[in-house]
Amino acid sequence: MAAIETTSLTKRYGDSVLAVDDLDLTVEEGEIFGFLGPNGAGKSTTINMLLDFVRPTDGSATVLGYDAQDETGEIRERIGVLPEGATLYERLTAREHVEWVADTKGVDTDVDALLERVGILEDADRTAGGFSKGMRQRLGLGMALVGDPELLLLDEPSSGLDPTGIQDMRELLRAEADSGTTVFFSSHILSEVEAVCDRVGIMNEGQLVALDSIENLRDESTGAATIDVELAEAVDPDALDVGSIEGVQRVSADGDTVTAVCDEPAVKVDIVRHIDERAIVTDILSTDTSLEELFNQYTGAESADEGSVAPEAEQREQEVSA
Amino acid sequence: MSALSVAKRDFLNVRRAKLVWIPALLYALFMLIFYWGQSSRPEPDFYMVLWSLAGIGGALVIPLVAIVAAYLSIAGERESGSIRYQLSLPVSRSDVVVGKLLARTGVVVASLLIAFAIGIVAAQVLVPDMTLEYDGYAAFVALTLLYALAYVAVAVAISAATASRSRAMSGAIGFFFVFNLGWNFLPVSPVQMARFVFEELGVDYSDSLLDLIFSLSPTGAYLNGMKLVFPDDFTALQATTAGSNPFYIQGWFMLVILAGWIVVPLLLGAWQFRRTDLG
Repeated sequence: MAAIETTSLTKRYGDSVLAVDDLDLTVEEGEIFGFLGPNGAGKSTTINMLLDFVRPTDGSATVLGYDAQDETGEIRERIGVLPEGATLYERLTAREHVEWVADTKGVDTDVDALLERVGILEDADRTAGGFSKGMRQRLGLGMALVGDPELLLLDEPSSGLDPTGIQDMRELLRAEADSGTTVFFSSHILSEVEAVCDRVGIMNEGQLVALDSIENLRDESTGAATIDVELAEAVDPDALDVGSIEGVQRVSADGDTVTAVCDEPAVKVDIVRHIDERAIVTDILSTDTSLEELFNQYTGAESADEGSVAPEAEQREQEVSA
Repeated sequence: MSALSVAKRDFLNVRRAKLVWIPALLYALFMLIFYWGQSSRPEPDFYMVLWSLAGIGGALVIPLVAIVAAYLSIAGERESGSIRYQLSLPVSRSDVVVGKLLARTGVVVASLLIAFAIGIVAAQVLVPDMTLEYDGYAAFVALTLLYALAYVAVAVAISAATASRSRAMSGAIGFFFVFNLGWNFLPVSPVQMARFVFEELGVDYSDSLLDLIFSLSPTGAYLNGMKLVFPDDFTALQATTAGSNPFYIQGWFMLVILAGWIVVPLLLGAWQFRRTDLG
């Protein structure tokens, strides 16, 4: 059984805004799934539909095998949620928040141990009105963990956390996943999820534009390494015959600079050696396409190296939607 | 059970808000003034105090107590987003509406009971000569709490049907103006309009019918429900207490109207809340 499964899930606001467009997504049990995309990509709307805060225009979704619209009670008993940007109850203490969640879920919980785990035990009896953003986020995470849920649904859990907080959260999510909990969380910053996720899905403009493991995404991005070789004087690129080197995808020349795109970083050494035998090399500029850049290309954000991997990104997009 | 967990948490949270207790203090203050007013009379009359209290409470203070306590109950949580914490837990949206009603009713009942208790003490101290009619007082308290509950229900319902604080506030104030001031106190009321229309069309109408129209608002039902509180020989009410009146302007029917003001708005509010997107 999949932890989360959406089928042609669509949400339209009015006639003009298509927040989520025909989304098919499966999250397996026990995995840590990172749901990525820039702000406004449709991540929160998707999560809101999984939680029945927002009703889909079309399509359906199941959470832990239960229908997200018709069986909300069953779902809510079994999941822990950290909603995005939600305010806590200003006049209740951290302890009262956790007790309330445990009471509503009908479970016994060791409040002190839980608050200790998220690092706010010393503030247990202060009201949430005086909490910093980071403390609120920690308390929210603690509330999501009450009752050892089968699935954690976390919307932008790292927002408001300092680097230590983000590190703590990652460790906590890993520990949860090791104990069999499925973790689904969203973020608009790739570097925050790559360290912890088994798989990521990238949303852009309401559509899922990539869905893969971090390793595969990384392989793909390093596969498209680029090298610029600067020469003492302009040389006819055909005479250099860089294209004949195994692993080179394409070559272009601009004045005295030759740019080659190759399958893997090791090929760059061959290219430099090859050119060095035929011309005078004055400088080398090597750029690995980082995961970050790949993410930017999927989501149409500004990229330092536009064009070099775009064709592949398009190809990938077709694979995903196929 | 889920509604009770909502109510428990909400009561814990809202009772710490000082603002919800202030209107009830205002009510207690009016009581003190009315008792003090009787103390200077040669024959202080307890029912005159209740009569004044019914007027000022019905027209202004009780709606204020209830609206202040309840108008933000759901819309406020939607605006701040804390409703998403609430609804991530195993409770339905109807549970939220019922739970909020229970919690805010609890706050209103508690604050008014404190005010009524202050009133008893004030009566003993300020007007020791006056005879306290405990039966009448109990009936008055019960009817006033029912009236307050109707306003709490309306305010919770408006709160459930609106997405922001400002809309919930305009809704509650709008309701107060239309169904309280407009319906029962301004010269251009539905009673006047009905009389005008009947006379223009030459239709026969009875005073009982006009009295029913007056009683259809929560405030009208509360004021006419005072027949149940006051003795039959109380002068201010005598005209309308004749036993031969049709059932729909008898005192007990006023309780039915108030019950309707609790049930119907809540059903509408909950229905609207269940179908809306909490984006």
